Amino acid sequence: MANDSIWKRLISSLDPRHYNIERWSYTLHRITGVVLILFLIAHMVEIFHISLGPESWAATLALLGRLGPLENIGLWIIAGCVFYHGANGLRLLLNQVFGLLLGKPRMPVYPYTPTSLGKNQRIAIWTITAVVSGIWIWAGLYILAGLGIV
Amino acid sequence: MNGSDEIILRVRRFDGTREWWQSYQIGLTGVTSVLDLLNKVREEKDHTLAFRQSCHMGTCGSCGMVINGKPRLACQTNISELDAGVVNVEPMHNSPVIKDLVVGLDSLIENHKKVKPYIIRGKKEEIFYAPREFEVTQEGTTQFLQFDYCIMCNLCISACPTVTIDPLFLGPQALGQAFRYLADPRDEGWAERLELVDDDHGIWRCHFAGACSYVCPKDVDPAKAIQLMKKELLKKRLLIRRGKKGAEITEPLQPHFTEEKLTAAPPLDFKRGD
Ligand code: HEM
Ligand code: SF4
Ligand code: FES
Repeated sequence: MANDSIWKRLISSLDPRHYNIERWSYTLHRITGVVLILFLIAHMVEIFHISLGPESWAATLALLGRLGPLENIGLWIIAGCVFYHGANGLRLLLNQVFGLLLGKPRMPVYPYTPTSLGKNQRIAIWTITAVVSGIWIWAGLYILAGLGIV
Repeated sequence: MNGSDEIILRVRRFDGTREWWQSYQIGLTGVTSVLDLLNKVREEKDHTLAFRQSCHMGTCGSCGMVINGKPRLACQTNISELDAGVVNVEPMHNSPVIKDLVVGLDSLIENHKKVKPYIIRGKKEEIFYAPREFEVTQEGTTQFLQFDYCIMCNLCISACPTVTIDPLFLGPQALGQAFRYLADPRDEGWAERLELVDDDHGIWRCHFAGACSYVCPKDVDPAKAIQLMKKELLKKRLLIRRGKKGAEITEPLQPHFTEEKLTAAPPLDFKRGD
């Protein structure tokens, strides 16, 4: 594995199976971060067409219109990425910048359960999951309503 | 599974050129841990199987391997707790395989050395010729003892996704040990050590996946140490904190250690054998 290509190593680094929930959020945070960057670039290319005049902008909108409901579903996925990445990003800032939710250094007592992956972290992660899912479902309904589906 | 049953052990093997999975069917009589199972295979079926072991009690850190997908100590992993009819055993990830389950540990050792894993004092003679102990309270001990439990088993390195991507990353073991000394009340290497870890392949590479703490068999909790060290590093960068004064030397406990003896001690640049 140490000699594998960078692509193989990248994929294995994103595979959280057999590991803790924090490693699952690590994977999601990375993927959502990259999705957001790609979206941002695509979005900048899109709105750049405004500067090329009304025809160009109309053509861009027409092109996006050809995607049909896929455009809305795509935006819904992007919205999910923003919600998750933002909320989980706040947790990571609490952990990494302020040293919170980690527990204090303590005398090791068997059975060993690391406090940095302990109760506080679990509460934060499940709260994020619940809140993000709630907002995401609401956004989904909003988008579906816009499409006249619900 | 009951005591008289057999189990299938699948081992990821490597002979220097070829890699393959090999299966062994083996009786469970006299077997408790995965390490017992490997020893039984070596005694009864295949003496070419290579793996490391020493203490059989989770103390030496020799028997780290990936068992059913998770890095663990083979001697501390009971077959019964795996609750599976098949035990899959692979060499630890993120380290070069030498043979079968034996991996090269050079980078573990080198990275550990890089963070200066020893007490640093402003005055060197306090280390080499201290006449008495440093004054450390129970509370002071609690700040570092947990991190001091590291047995250098390499499991955290095998688990860390950042090491997978950046093989030059200092890694959870070394960073954990950097914090172990940073948090030690006797140590005065606070700024020096923080500068060492504040590197392209250092502490900022950590994104807190927490896999290191999840697999650590000794509750070292490297992820906790690393996040707490990030906070210290920010304090240093923001000039909120500039250094650390180490614990004082205590009142004399043993009367034969005297100030005169300290002064009379040989110079610091002694050679081995002097
Ligand atoms: C809502 C505001 C946001 C917050 C609070 C936030 C927070 C964070 C944090 C704390 C990290 C570091 C994670 C770590 O150390 O593991 C991070 C990484 C990242 N963010 Fe954001 N972020 C936000 C918005 C965005 C946006 C809009 C983009 C895309 C343009 C983005 C792209 C990325 C990428 C690519 C990474 C690197 C991922 C990694 O290394 O695992 N973020 N974000
Ligand atoms: S920190 Fe834990 S997992 Fe890592 S080498 Fe030390 S004892 Fe092993
Ligand atoms: S043999 Fe020593 S830790 Fe397993």
